[in-house]
Amino acid sequence: MSELSAAWHPIASSEDLPYRHVFHGQLLGREFAVWRADDGNVNVWENRCLHRGVRLSIGINEGAELKCQYHGWRYANRTAGCTYIPAHPADAPARRITNRTYPVIEFAGLVWSAAGAADAFVEPLQEADWFALRPIPVTATPEMVRDKVVAAAEPGSEPVRLTEFGYSMKLAGGRGEDAAVFIQPVDAGRAVIRALLPETPAQPLATLRHYNALLNALREQIERTAREAPAPEPIEPEYEPVSLELATMPELRLGTRTSIRVRVARKYDAGEGVIGLDLAALEGHLPTFQPGAHIDVHLPNGLVRQYSITNGPGEQLHYGIGVKREPESRGGSSTIAEAVREGDLLAISEPRNNFPLRRDATRTTLIAGGIGITPLLAMAKNLFGSRLEFDFHVFARSQQHLPFADALERFGDHVSPHIGLDAAETGRTLEEIVGSYSFARHLYVCGPAPMLELVRALAARNGWPDEAVHFEYFKNTREIDQSSSFTVELARSALTLEVPAGRTILEVLRENGVEAPSSCEQGACGTCLTKVLEGTPDHQDVYLNETEKQANASMLTCVSRSLSDKLVLDI
Amino acid sequence: MITLYDFELSGNCYKPRLLMSILGLTYETVPVDFYPGREHKSEAFLKLNPFGELPVLVDDGLVLRDSQAILIYLASKYDKTGQWYPLSDPAVLAEIAIWHDFANRITATASAARLGLSMFYDVDIEAAQAGAHQLFRLLDEHLWFGEREGRDWLCAPSHPTTADIACFPYVALSEEAGVPRQDYPAIRRWLDRVKRIPGFTVMSGVFPAGPAIEA
Amino acid sequence: MNRPNPYLNDHWHVVAGNEAVASGQPFRTVLFDVPIIIQRLADGLRVTAALAPEKPLPVLERYGFIWTSLGTPMPLFEIPEYDEADRRNMNAGSLGVAVSAPRAIENFLDMGHFPYVHTDILGAEPHTEVKEYDVEVSAERGEVLATRCRFFQPRAATSSAGGQEVEYVYRVPHPYCSVLYKSCPSDENRRDVIAIFCQPVGEERIVAHMLQSLIDDVSTITDMRRFQQTIFGQDKPILENQYPKKLPLDPRAETPIRADKSAIAYRRWLSQMGVNYGVIPLVPRVADV
Repeated sequence: MSELSAAWHPIASSEDLPYRHVFHGQLLGREFAVWRADDGNVNVWENRCLHRGVRLSIGINEGAELKCQYHGWRYANRTAGCTYIPAHPADAPARRITNRTYPVIEFAGLVWSAAGAADAFVEPLQEADWFALRPIPVTATPEMVRDKVVAAAEPGSEPVRLTEFGYSMKLAGGRGEDAAVFIQPVDAGRAVIRALLPETPAQPLATLRHYNALLNALREQIERTAREAPAPEPIEPEYEPVSLELATMPELRLGTRTSIRVRVARKYDAGEGVIGLDLAALEGHLPTFQPGAHIDVHLPNGLVRQYSITNGPGEQLHYGIGVKREPESRGGSSTIAEAVREGDLLAISEPRNNFPLRRDATRTTLIAGGIGITPLLAMAKNLFGSRLEFDFHVFARSQQHLPFADALERFGDHVSPHIGLDAAETGRTLEEIVGSYSFARHLYVCGPAPMLELVRALAARNGWPDEAVHFEYFKNTREIDQSSSFTVELARSALTLEVPAGRTILEVLRENGVEAPSSCEQGACGTCLTKVLEGTPDHQDVYLNETEKQANASMLTCVSRSLSDKLVLDI
Repeated sequence: MITLYDFELSGNCYKPRLLMSILGLTYETVPVDFYPGREHKSEAFLKLNPFGELPVLVDDGLVLRDSQAILIYLASKYDKTGQWYPLSDPAVLAEIAIWHDFANRITATASAARLGLSMFYDVDIEAAQAGAHQLFRLLDEHLWFGEREGRDWLCAPSHPTTADIACFPYVALSEEAGVPRQDYPAIRRWLDRVKRIPGFTVMSGVFPAGPAIEA
Repeated sequence: MNRPNPYLNDHWHVVAGNEAVASGQPFRTVLFDVPIIIQRLADGLRVTAALAPEKPLPVLERYGFIWTSLGTPMPLFEIPEYDEADRRNMNAGSLGVAVSAPRAIENFLDMGHFPYVHTDILGAEPHTEVKEYDVEVSAERGEVLATRCRFFQPRAATSSAGGQEVEYVYRVPHPYCSVLYKSCPSDENRRDVIAIFCQPVGEERIVAHMLQSLIDDVSTITDMRRFQQTIFGQDKPILENQYPKKLPLDPRAETPIRADKSAIAYRRWLSQMGVNYGVIPLVPRVADV
């Protein structure tokens, strides 16, 4: 059976996958949910939501994501990674919840897959204008169906074996064509006859009807024989266990540092002073991301910079990012401007999301200043695709400075550009946009620090609760005070360390061999977020909101320090 | 005012609910405790419908039974487009009659098996399931060739008719009858199409389909 | 054939609604794959296995249902509210479902599906969040208890007019039974009680018996039954599309989230009690040892 599961079999006709449909397939006892995304990609997934085992074939094909009927979990085109869990709308599904996928190839008008790790696909037929006949399901063992099909060859003709379950043959009673007939082994006692003609016949419909009648008669004959013996037990499908990481819900979100190689597929002008880059997978697709996520990009000069992913849902072949040319660049944007060319290979991290998009808002307001548009662009694509209520305000110095203007066009009335406003006008406009709070509204803002501060202040004044205002700083412009010295106790590592003035907690951790994830190292990205068990942190980051800072339950170890003599951290 | 004597879990009661929702009609519901109360066999209900069956529709003093008869009445009287039951087209009316009869056969098999499994009616469940599979094979073939001929619905017109409404419920509920639809991909696609008719509404046991905006 | 372990076997199990068994007409059903016959005789109820008609099984009428046992039953759990004079108690129906009893219980405990499965009744997008709640397993009372469960509901009961945040308490006092208490629309100091009692016909087939005990002077029994049947009718196709049909007790079989705390506690409790019927027991993996 193991050899059989590595073999490719047709599991559907290409025509079985119309727009926004989910096909229910099966091969060797394993059920599949098969769906074509709007970009044309065909997904073959285990027919089972990883959460509670509900069949995904009853789910909803949303074009770029498949939505489970039970709890509304969404899984991305291509990767099958979970992008949203509505029960916890404020959390990014940080763990890699990914459905089991099966290999897929569309060839000769059929969709092919394998029930396990597949051999390399060898085309069982010559390239031709293959014409698929109506597939005929048969309640009999695949072996019996195969033998009976072979026996149904035109007398005097000799079927030629194409695969273990496929033959090139003339069917008795047919019209003389050399048909390709494949038997799809569905289960121990079920099969589907999938036959192809080598070209589209002169009278397609009449030919389809002719062969349909012929194959129906063959089915009757096979099933009569099959009923003489007891039906075999269905194949017991094996359900692979999920990883240990997925079986428990970790309290703390820690980033991963896996590095992925990508190719610069496209470098383009995305507006005055903004470089657009498409970073493509070297093969296959890139890891699942959620709107708001960013990646670390390792630049040729050794620097690491964070950029938000601008992609819409299910766009997994490349990550689109936007880089602002900074005149006083610390070496990131100027390296990209000068040293990175199309075709170059770069290393990036897996996507990480510190700016997750809730989809449980009655209305979402997005406010972007300049290059701060990038994470919000991904959010807008998502909200637009799901037809959720949103408005998207983009502030830019001039029409030319409006980044990704082409991408904005598709949002129509949802977008309001605010061009060339001075500080006072910007303030008034923002005041209008923020307005007063109402139940289940959410605000997302990304842009220069003064703009963020203003929006946060306006929101607070107008009764917006902290948890409804989401923001991402792309850098921390605050002056960091490193003058304090204190003790840090690591509760889980049983270590006590001294942090002297002028050194960060993060640096001291690393010097003592404690592995700690970090990214921006300026208190903006949240990667080094750590739980505080005791003591009062001296928060100097721009990542935590005021409520979170006052709770003193967590801190960023890259810039924040201690007001108390001792901090106890959950490390 | 239209009044529907209704049981939520009945596919036959769902037929008029579905058509009235599509036609945008308002109506009053009188719930009947079909199970476990067997209220449809009560003296009071038998006065309304001596056959002791649901649904019953009352409109302006007219009392109607039989789900297909009710569909014909509603479409003929209230459908301003004249599409759901095209009175002026004899060929289509005859076609619709054929599929209304087919709907009764589905009720006699798929619905019977469902009642046997979920509400313990005394039914030969295996025979009913086998009967449903025979019908579904015919239905799938009809719909598969329809797709090749550019016909999306059960009858010839380019729009759905009461035939689609009459056949939909117990096909959509067939898994509760122990009749899986995996072998009927054309039926599964047709169910999606019916679910995307503007005004479509679900019943307990029928899932919605996502919207299909043509790209 | 798999037999229930002694812990499970020594429980009362529901086998019929009171009204389903009429005098003089034997009522046939199945419990743990064993065909049984219930008869209402002049001197009371008699329950026997079809293959051993001379040996009566224990029988109990409680909460509007008939209960029996193939073992030596421990006392049936209490629902004290049931006996309050002003409650409307009703059997909301007994429906056959192709699923294991524990899958049905777990669904009964679940709030995250309200907006998707019970759209516009028990939940509606965008209000999808399952807020933090508390779960405890009381070993001496032998039940799982989830408290402080809150969910925004557009129409929580037959008698509710508009949307409200509804508070729930869930009890699982029996491996195959669960009782929920929810805010009562007509009296803010009291709670409506809804219970599901699962009869294990086989490992993958149940009869779900539903009890409602409500504070509601206005709605008719038919209305209230219809509400509960609408809800359960929506759950049914979900349950029948869950694979595997038996509840896997291995934590690595599926992916829990924080909203599933009660389900995780329930699965652990079944494991601890050695429940082996309607579940896929946890078998330690070599790699984990």
